[in-house]
Amino acid sequence: MLRLISNSLLCRRWHSLATLVGVAFGVGLLLAVFLLYRGFEQGLERGRQRLGADLLVVPSNATVDPDKALFAGSPLNVYMDRKVVDKAMRIPGVRRVDAQFFTQSFRLECCSVGAETRLIGVESQMIRRLAEMSPLGRETLEPDEVIVGSELLGGASRPGSLIELLGDIFRLGYRLEPTGTALDYSILMPMNSAYDLAAKSEPLKAVWKDAGDPHQLVSALLVEVDDSQHINEVGRALEDLGSLKIIRAADTFQRLKRLMNAFVFVLAAAGVLTAVGGIAYLLGHFSSVAWDRKGEWALYRALGATKPGMVQLVVGEAVALALSGAVVGLPLGYALYRLAFTRLAAQNAFPFVAPGNGLLAAAAVGALALYSLIGFLSAAVPALRVAQLEPALTMAQGDVD
Amino acid sequence: MNAPSQILLEAAHVSRKYGTETILDDVSLTVRAGETLTIVGPSGSGKTTILALLALLLQPTSGQILVAGRDAASLSDAERSRLRNIFYGFIFQTAQLVGSLSVLDNVLLPALLAGQAREKRMVARELLEQLGLTARAAFLPHQLSLGQKRRVALARALLLRPAVILADEPTNDLDARRAAQIADFLLGLPAAGYALVLVTHDTQLAERAGNRWHIHEGKVTPPARLPATRPSGREELVLNIFENELS
Repeated sequence: MLRLISNSLLCRRWHSLATLVGVAFGVGLLLAVFLLYRGFEQGLERGRQRLGADLLVVPSNATVDPDKALFAGSPLNVYMDRKVVDKAMRIPGVRRVDAQFFTQSFRLECCSVGAETRLIGVESQMIRRLAEMSPLGRETLEPDEVIVGSELLGGASRPGSLIELLGDIFRLGYRLEPTGTALDYSILMPMNSAYDLAAKSEPLKAVWKDAGDPHQLVSALLVEVDDSQHINEVGRALEDLGSLKIIRAADTFQRLKRLMNAFVFVLAAAGVLTAVGGIAYLLGHFSSVAWDRKGEWALYRALGATKPGMVQLVVGEAVALALSGAVVGLPLGYALYRLAFTRLAAQNAFPFVAPGNGLLAAAAVGALALYSLIGFLSAAVPALRVAQLEPALTMAQGDVD
Repeated sequence: MNAPSQILLEAAHVSRKYGTETILDDVSLTVRAGETLTIVGPSGSGKTTILALLALLLQPTSGQILVAGRDAASLSDAERSRLRNIFYGFIFQTAQLVGSLSVLDNVLLPALLAGQAREKRMVARELLEQLGLTARAAFLPHQLSLGQKRRVALARALLLRPAVILADEPTNDLDARRAAQIADFLLGLPAAGYALVLVTHDTQLAERAGNRWHIHEGKVTPPARLPATRPSGREELVLNIFENELS
């Protein structure tokens, strides 16, 4: 049976190739759509977990887009008086306030990331929380240690590697897992280290001349409230402190999610249409094959093929073709996904976490299984029709070659 | 004197209608091991239909087809398929080779369908050698002449050593020399124990084959019967088919 199937496919090589290419493109598109969808979904979820805050507070003069503040990795030099941390802590309903101090490197010495890199000074409680989210995480950092985002320095750097930042040498504490947010492109260090580094940086001197001593400044507050029902009250109280811009993380996530849902709808529609199109295409193909080759099928019946044997033969040919197309489509889909991922990462417009190997393998197996099923379903009806062919047909027909 | 040989096939009062049109009317005949049965008649007289009925490719409208004594109507589709695979060898009006298969694989086709291709490979090569087609084993059917195609079909029919060879106009469209070669080969088969049912309107071939049954407008007229010669060893093979192959 296998020999007949392979011979038939190889002999009609252009026909088979055209079908195979059609299936391969379908599988490729479906795989790419699925991986992008999962990447967005995971990115959004992980971004929410990592932020760990209900409100983001920045100076009111910061020309900051909420999405960019939460997800984009571009350097952001905005500052406010550090006293705002204590004031915020005293607001009823506030459970926790994490202050962050943003500065930037102008060149990352060990490995280029293209341009400036955001440096974030973080307090000890934030360092502890980050440690919980990374397998390599550590609860404390030495003053000369930094945590590096997943997209910086390349994969080869190890804990303890030396990094030069604004003329000072730091050691790599560990690398964060991908988050799909600004953290992937940021370097985090103890708050005091960030202050000291910023204060003595020649390129930043002009900034401090206007903003004041960096040790007395913070760039953003991440505020967690006791009860999410009271976010609005806490937000209003923070606004009352004056000269602050309050960004509700939930609003931003919701808006991004809505945007993403629209995007996902387009992707899902493309995926469904691809799958349905694949079924229609293969159904048409195998119906046509069943009709065009009925002389050959009748000959097989006359020479002893059983009805189940004929179904196996037709369905086997369909599944072999669909499966071969799917195997070719997998690398195509992965390449398409990587291309889209690279472009999206360059734009940094969406939170995105590249799916892990487990998900990639599951998606590949799923695509193979789906297209085997599509091949089976597409050939099932033509196969049943072929099985019903009268073997006597072969007595009345001309050559089948 | 030889005892009468085993009846392999029997048509008992068989009729076949297409709609209201009667193609065969009350046909009764028997096919014995080592015997040639020739059916002659003009085009459209029902020759091919009777062959299709004997081959279990069609079912009679009335009457019985008995295969080694067993009523074909009582057989399941799988049993009928199995019989077509191992009990019959078919030579159709046209060679009916599969264009996507090489000559060797076309010969092996009954074995491929039965999942025995590997075991029968040597037999297929021997048959190709006997029929002078060894050098064409890897060719595709479209690379063969008409006569070569017929020889491939002949090899395919003999591959599984069937009990009965059914040949429908085997010399059709062949020139005299090629037709004679095919006829020589075919008419030598009964001596090797095969039963041969030959349908033809080629009077020369029919005369050579003997045991001529005439068919006209669905009615079959038997010849004056002569005692059949008993071949060696074939009956046992045939009787064992039901016992071994179909069990």
